[in-house]
Amino acid sequence: MTPEAAAAISASPRTGRRPRFSGIRFLDGALGVWTALVFAFLYLPIVVLVVYSFNTSRLNIVWESFTLRWYGELFDHTPLMRTFKNSLIIAAAATALSVVIGTAGAWLLHRYRYRWARGLQSLVCVPMVMPEIVMGVSLLVFFAVAGIELGHSTVIIAHTTFCFPFVLVAVQARLQGLDPSLEEAALDLGATPLRAFWLVIVPCLRPAILSGGLMAFTLSMDELIISLFTASPDARTLPMQVFGMAKVGLNPMINALSALFIVTTVAFVLFSEHLRRLANR
Amino acid sequence: MKKLRHLILLGLAALCATTAFAAPKKKKGELNLFAWSEYVPQAVLDGFTEETGIKVNYETYASGEEMLAKLQAGGARYDLIQPPDYVAEAMIKNDLLVPIQREKLTNYGNLLPEYLGMPHDPEQRYTVPYMVGTVGIVVNTERVKDPVLGYADLFAEKHAGRIVVLDDGRELATAALYTLGKNLNDFSDENLAAVKPVLATWFKRVKLFDSDSPKTALLNGDVDLGLVWGGEAALLWKEDKKFQYVLPAEGAHMFVDLLGIPKRAKNVENAHLFIDYILRPEVSKLISDDFPYTNPNGAARKLLSADQLANPASYPKVDRKLDTFRDLGDAAAAKIDELITDLKNAR
Amino acid sequence: MQGLPGSFPENPHARAPRLRGWLLLAPMLAWLALFVVAPAFVLLAYSFASRGALGAVEFGFSWDNYARVFDPIYLKILARSVGYAALTTVLCVLIGYPAAWFIARRPPVWRERLILLVMIPFWTSFLIRTYAWIAILKSEGLLNGLLQASGAVPRIFPEPLALLYTPTAVVIGLVYAYLPFMILPVYASAEKLDGSLVEAAHDLGAGPLRVFREVIVPLTWPGIAAGMLLVFMPALGMFAVTDLMGGARVSMIGNVIHNQFTKALNLPFGAALGVVFTLLFVLCYALLQWRGGRARPAAAPAASNS
Repeated sequence: MTPEAAAAISASPRTGRRPRFSGIRFLDGALGVWTALVFAFLYLPIVVLVVYSFNTSRLNIVWESFTLRWYGELFDHTPLMRTFKNSLIIAAAATALSVVIGTAGAWLLHRYRYRWARGLQSLVCVPMVMPEIVMGVSLLVFFAVAGIELGHSTVIIAHTTFCFPFVLVAVQARLQGLDPSLEEAALDLGATPLRAFWLVIVPCLRPAILSGGLMAFTLSMDELIISLFTASPDARTLPMQVFGMAKVGLNPMINALSALFIVTTVAFVLFSEHLRRLANR
Repeated sequence: MKKLRHLILLGLAALCATTAFAAPKKKKGELNLFAWSEYVPQAVLDGFTEETGIKVNYETYASGEEMLAKLQAGGARYDLIQPPDYVAEAMIKNDLLVPIQREKLTNYGNLLPEYLGMPHDPEQRYTVPYMVGTVGIVVNTERVKDPVLGYADLFAEKHAGRIVVLDDGRELATAALYTLGKNLNDFSDENLAAVKPVLATWFKRVKLFDSDSPKTALLNGDVDLGLVWGGEAALLWKEDKKFQYVLPAEGAHMFVDLLGIPKRAKNVENAHLFIDYILRPEVSKLISDDFPYTNPNGAARKLLSADQLANPASYPKVDRKLDTFRDLGDAAAAKIDELITDLKNAR
Repeated sequence: MQGLPGSFPENPHARAPRLRGWLLLAPMLAWLALFVVAPAFVLLAYSFASRGALGAVEFGFSWDNYARVFDPIYLKILARSVGYAALTTVLCVLIGYPAAWFIARRPPVWRERLILLVMIPFWTSFLIRTYAWIAILKSEGLLNGLLQASGAVPRIFPEPLALLYTPTAVVIGLVYAYLPFMILPVYASAEKLDGSLVEAAHDLGAGPLRVFREVIVPLTWPGIAAGMLLVFMPALGMFAVTDLMGGARVSMIGNVIHNQFTKALNLPFGAALGVVFTLLFVLCYALLQWRGGRARPAAAPAASNS
């Protein structure tokens, strides 16, 4: 699970008031320094990674000189490229499935008063908080017993299982702020419930669906432990490959890879923020 | 309407994705290789793919047990595996390997006879040797001045907190058996009880357990001595001559890593092609270049440089017959595992 | 409200589902039944099986695996895992709470930027970040290099700090891995907190400590509880950090489960450990929800007015 998941779990409507009290204002400076230190702690390894990705030395010890060699080698490395492709396929499929299941689930749980809804909600959240190792192991034994051969499909199933609750929860948070008369108005105007859902509700939920889907995608791209148990050799994911390579020593190619990942994800985030702002306008 | 279409497309994509992958695909051009980490150079795999068009999926493990576990859990299907000798012996006993069709291996004759017909596969029906090696002690002679000749010196009090060992129960228990002067394949309850206190003392002095790449910690300077695979020591020696390799005085064993085809393999033909490719002298030399274990391929050895052949960890000077591991049976293996878990958590 | 995952948001306009409602929900129910509930039962079945030749599983019914879980050695591992996870949780609260509070008290624009900044590092692979720590902590690594350059090594420390492969390294790794899981939910709670409540408490003569204890903590409790769950549980099951940064010397419950499946060829015992672990998890979850439920009523009326 990643932090955006944590944010989604405890997502809440904002009130956005500023503190006006003066009693603890003097603490603010100290807290600011503390927060800066926390950020330094969070970013130290990232900086190290990026800096060493330009280092000619193979061992991450001393700075020798600047090179782009590792970035070049990265693209010639067959297993990295192949597993990257696998990861993209798996993440895309898992995201698509998660978006469909999660959005529909959130809407239905919102619209209907199901019996055992509370229990159901807890069940949905189980894969979010369940220890990855237990989930991976239980899926592995399940696939073995059910006679399902491991492959791309099993990884996609596993990833969807822990991704869709994140979409569901994100959409649920958005639904809470939704005006219930919206759907009623559409129904009164003669739309079928399905059309009302497509034409009225889904557009309102779009930011939540997008951010939920984005979350599902990043979660799937980064997942290691569950994949270790559910992937076949030809469906290995990028994190599995990275894990295998990193286990046998630090490799500057992996530094380069993560530097690229950081740049891409930051761009991704900025883009989705931009989308969100457009949607909220 | 546009959004509707988007969603429908998304749903369709999801459906296609799952159905496409749900159907078991019959790809001809694939080989699922399940092998040790740090053992098969990427150049060899790429060369094989280039020549035959067969895509190689290389998955790794760090111990024979890990390989067996993944194989036995079901689900994943591999075409070619790389069991160590004693695991291969157990697999043959339990009918988990298919016989090798030797007539398909045109380069089989390159193998040195001394590595064929060993006890784990006396008729050499199920396996083909890949690489051979020893397990020994490596010492950073810049930091450790006193001579280290055997296990007793390695695990001496003064070296506490400076040692890396393989994270492999069988290897560690064997070293303890050697120091007690016992047979390395005799894990009777009595012997297990005897090795326990020895291992307990050793474990207190070990800084790091690592089977994947014990050389890393040595190179990084986090530890100064190690009980490691010969090939790892050979790489260290190649990097810096200060890393000296010693075959322990109390006793040392040799391991043979083999190539074998598991029962549920899908691409048996491709597996044979790959084995034959590996047996070519020039390909085998590529493996030795990257992972300098003892090469059982006589023709390939002729291609190695004098420097490579002089590497004491690759081709140690042996004045005695080296032992090999035998299959202990399930009960003893489980007992070793329990012993190691106990000891690791005793503190 | 949504302090803990799994709390159900009520919708007063919801209607009875009837057949159609259930049919629409069926795909999700089927998914959950097939890939969450069924695997859990298979795992349960495995936990009563026994180990066969070469890691095969022989089904049957025996309590042996559970008896072994309660063997002192595994209880000790369990206790140690709980200890490490608890220490990690406490450190995350201590380190993360002030930062989360500070961020939540910024103007909205800054708040969003800062919280994004908390999340960005976690979009790189968790493993890669752990390896970066190895590069920092190893004895010829960055930290010791800096100490050496500053001249601290000969003066303050007689020799380079041997941090890597020690329990300290494990705790650093765990705190690093889970800190944002604490910051984000606490931030979400703190952000909702109405500053005038704190002010009112001040005006009524409460000292800063008392305000903190009796107003701020109860009002942010849902966030703290969610954070504790999100840090404690995964930390308990973690095996990669302990293997990589602890030198595989310190076993936690996650390592033992992992080992049963990858090294010891004992799937049934691993399954039993997994089942016990899951029960432990359910217990923590229930405990936090119960505690959260108790802490909330006092603060809820005030908070709902905001």
